[in-house]
Amino acid sequence: MLPSNLLVVWKRKGEILPRYAKLSNDNLEVAGGLIETYKENVGEKKKVLKAVVTDLENRGYEYRFVRGLALLLDRKGTFTCNSKINPVDLRRKIFQATEKSGLPTTPEKRQRIIDAAASEMALTPENFEEYLYADLDDELILEKFTPPSAHELLEQYNLSLSQTLLFDSTELSFTASGNWQNLFYFVKKLGLIYEVYRDNGLWVKIDGPASLFKLTKRYGISIAKLLPIIVANPEWTVTAKILWKYTNEICNFKIESQKHSSLLKKTNLPAVTYDSAVEESFASQFQAVKSGWTLKREPEPVPAGNQVIIPDFSLERGGVKVYLEIVGFWTEEYILRKAEKLKQVEDKMLLLVNEDLACEKLTALEKRPQLNFIYYHDKIPLASILRYLGTAFEMVKDREIKFLENLSVKFTEPVVSYDEFAARIGISTEAAKAVLTVNPPPGYVVMPNILVSKEKLIQIDNQIEECLKQSGKLPLTQAIRLIEAKGVSDASCALTQLGYKITWRGINSEQAEVTKASKKREDEVVKSPAP
Amino acid sequence: MPRLWFDKGTILLKGEVGTPYGKWDPRSGCYRLKASHYRDALEYFKESKIRYEDDVPNLPPLEQVKSNVELRTYQNKALDNWSRAGNRGVLVLPTAAGKTFIALKAIDLLRTQTLIVVPTLDLIDQWRKRVRECLGMEAGVVGGGENTVRMVTVSTYDSAYSQAAQLGNRFMFLVFDEVHHLASPGYMQIGEMYIAPYRMGLTATYERSDQRHALLPLVVGDPVYSIDIEELAGKHLSPYTYEKVSVELTPEEQQTYEAQMSVFRNYLQQRRIVLKSAADFQRFIMTTGRDPHAREALLARNRALRVAVNSEAKLNLLAERLEAYKDEKILIFTLYNDLVYTISRRFLIPAVTYQTPREERREILVNFGNGKYKVIVTSQVLDEGMDVPDASIGLILGGTGSTREYVQRLGRLLRKKEGKTAKLVEIISKETMEVGISRRRRLKTGEAS
Repeated sequence: MLPSNLLVVWKRKGEILPRYAKLSNDNLEVAGGLIETYKENVGEKKKVLKAVVTDLENRGYEYRFVRGLALLLDRKGTFTCNSKINPVDLRRKIFQATEKSGLPTTPEKRQRIIDAAASEMALTPENFEEYLYADLDDELILEKFTPPSAHELLEQYNLSLSQTLLFDSTELSFTASGNWQNLFYFVKKLGLIYEVYRDNGLWVKIDGPASLFKLTKRYGISIAKLLPIIVANPEWTVTAKILWKYTNEICNFKIESQKHSSLLKKTNLPAVTYDSAVEESFASQFQAVKSGWTLKREPEPVPAGNQVIIPDFSLERGGVKVYLEIVGFWTEEYILRKAEKLKQVEDKMLLLVNEDLACEKLTALEKRPQLNFIYYHDKIPLASILRYLGTAFEMVKDREIKFLENLSVKFTEPVVSYDEFAARIGISTEAAKAVLTVNPPPGYVVMPNILVSKEKLIQIDNQIEECLKQSGKLPLTQAIRLIEAKGVSDASCALTQLGYKITWRGINSEQAEVTKASKKREDEVVKSPAP
Repeated sequence: MPRLWFDKGTILLKGEVGTPYGKWDPRSGCYRLKASHYRDALEYFKESKIRYEDDVPNLPPLEQVKSNVELRTYQNKALDNWSRAGNRGVLVLPTAAGKTFIALKAIDLLRTQTLIVVPTLDLIDQWRKRVRECLGMEAGVVGGGENTVRMVTVSTYDSAYSQAAQLGNRFMFLVFDEVHHLASPGYMQIGEMYIAPYRMGLTATYERSDQRHALLPLVVGDPVYSIDIEELAGKHLSPYTYEKVSVELTPEEQQTYEAQMSVFRNYLQQRRIVLKSAADFQRFIMTTGRDPHAREALLARNRALRVAVNSEAKLNLLAERLEAYKDEKILIFTLYNDLVYTISRRFLIPAVTYQTPREERREILVNFGNGKYKVIVTSQVLDEGMDVPDASIGLILGGTGSTREYVQRLGRLLRKKEGKTAKLVEIISKETMEVGISRRRRLKTGEAS
């Protein structure tokens, strides 16, 4: 972020945009030149750097641009005081000396005082004079400098310009693809209030509590802090209202990833930290049980009437989504309000309520066994949650199975994966598998993950037989390669299906061999049940 | 039953009733009020005989007050006027007239949770010391890296503003030191985001050149008491004399000055710009953002001003005066920091600027107070509120055209001491724009000749 006197904007007909520094050769040259200056002047005083900046300004470069770059470079450097003795001590020495001698109004008297003080501090008079004010900003020494590339500097400059403009914003709206968790985490953390609405995708409008009463720039700084989090996503559009103080008008600001992404620095997002230990321990416990559900932290907002709920977690499995929220300290009224809100949610939402954290006695709220409330003591009951998830999943699965049974599907491809098939028609893999394995389409054999056409199996059978004929034996690894090359992933299952036997010598699969057992006839192959 | 609670600098109201002050907030599904309407809302409920549940305040515990504050007659009058205005309003008193004590007495009378809002970290230290000495308790501090809330808490305007969401429901009484700061657009919201019904503003210079002081009654109350330097000089403040000395620029300085000024004047002439008022000048400054020629003209003007203000001739005169006032305590004021350091180096005088480390500044002021150091040179930071020990001579080598700055500098000299007559000497460069600047700053004090 930059001081507002370095902000340069382009403003026309109510639109406002920072004057971004294009990554042009000209600008890269200025940026690169400045970076070189800083590199060359490690060990020199800050006023030397300032002089270079002033020189650039005098040569006609936009002074706010040049100073902005220099300020960002200052932040990449470490400035230290040159003096071995703290200048404050030197000054105290000299001021105390003048207490006795009186102020020097002639150069000779002054020199005498300096000489005496210097020799007391074991310094030469020249050094004494040099160190006397070595702690002033201009006199500091550039000790270390971590040079960015010219590209990075310009990108950082452009991002800082945008943030500086947003200091004067009264509200901001954005839409983004990517990390909603992070975005909402920061919105909450920055004390902002959001509203969600749909307009060609999900939009979030951000302002603060006091924005209700009048236009205020109070939240501008928080809004500016949010910008790097938004633009770190792959796709985004940001609009904002800027209260332009010089003319006292509201201007529209709009940037979008397609046009501006390349100009702006992409920050590395900090990892999301958990609000509470409860949430954190739940997340790690849940992930440890390998339930088949994918756990996601602070997923995208769930509309609830004209409001939204930002659940703590979403759980996903094969197209089934369940939201989960952990309730901390609560009152009866809070829970009732929550229940009211939940009625408006179309998605499945599970609320975990710790009975020990109730802030009052429960009267109106009988403990109705509502499907989406789980009460507990002490520890979050993983088993109950999994049971709920199981039920939720079964319900969806049953519906999907009915749907699929009423669908007439014709297969032409030799290999059908349940996964791909389920994704194609928009149901869970489990439902697809349930239907296809119980009632396989004619001409196909059921395997754990796929259906394989009879023709395909015969092809494979012939090829293996060929190999066995030639060398008398076939290593398992080679057989698997051969089968997989045909596009069949469940290789060992295919072998068993075709009536081959795998003979193991030790546990090393390299040494296992495929041999012929009771070779089935081709028509039997097709009828045999799934393993 | 309607329930009210505090939410990030505002008040939320849930229930079947509204108030004349709230506004429906569709984002939260309930009414939202400005925190400053807290008392109004409660009174409305009481008058309408509506029972309500109030979860708004979150006040730190009260502590024992052991007050030893005795007020002078005019201070008592000021406090009376304030109480009669419903414990609200602004008191306008010159520097050194003891504004602090009036506020401390008010805390003693109200015995309620109080936040004192001040412009600088130095002032935090001063108030903390005064609270300890006069009320017999430790003050909490918010700002400058500290964050403790107690019955009496001191904070900077910056912290009071940025932390309004956390602090707004923790006090019932707000004291604004140097209250003219509150009128700036951002800080005005401090007034709106705190529930405290009792409010006191203190200042020596109520009026702002941007006229925004007209907004202060909305958040603090009207000016309820005002007394100026003339009324107190002699009795409660020291009498003083004023002298203006003009020096001639050296020939080289004269040449540079003329050359730079002609760049500036030529530009104005070419563009037919007339700069008569502060607003004219502000408009000109704005064009410098777009027009490189305007900026070049402005820079030339500033270079000329710098030559005039920092003239070598002034330093020679300064040397003479330092000889002449050998045994007096002197404050030297300049416009620019670089002149501060030039003087500090040449005459080995302690310097105080925004760059001076806080510890060193304190040490210098203590030593100035006990008379070890006789002279301090400074640019601006001493101008406001800072409790500078008394000096008898002020040497102004440069300043802005602001009356406020001038009055505050003068105030530094006027702390009452038996037999003392303060002396203010202004040294300006002849036939430069400094003459006009000097006239402007003294215009409203009724002294300008």
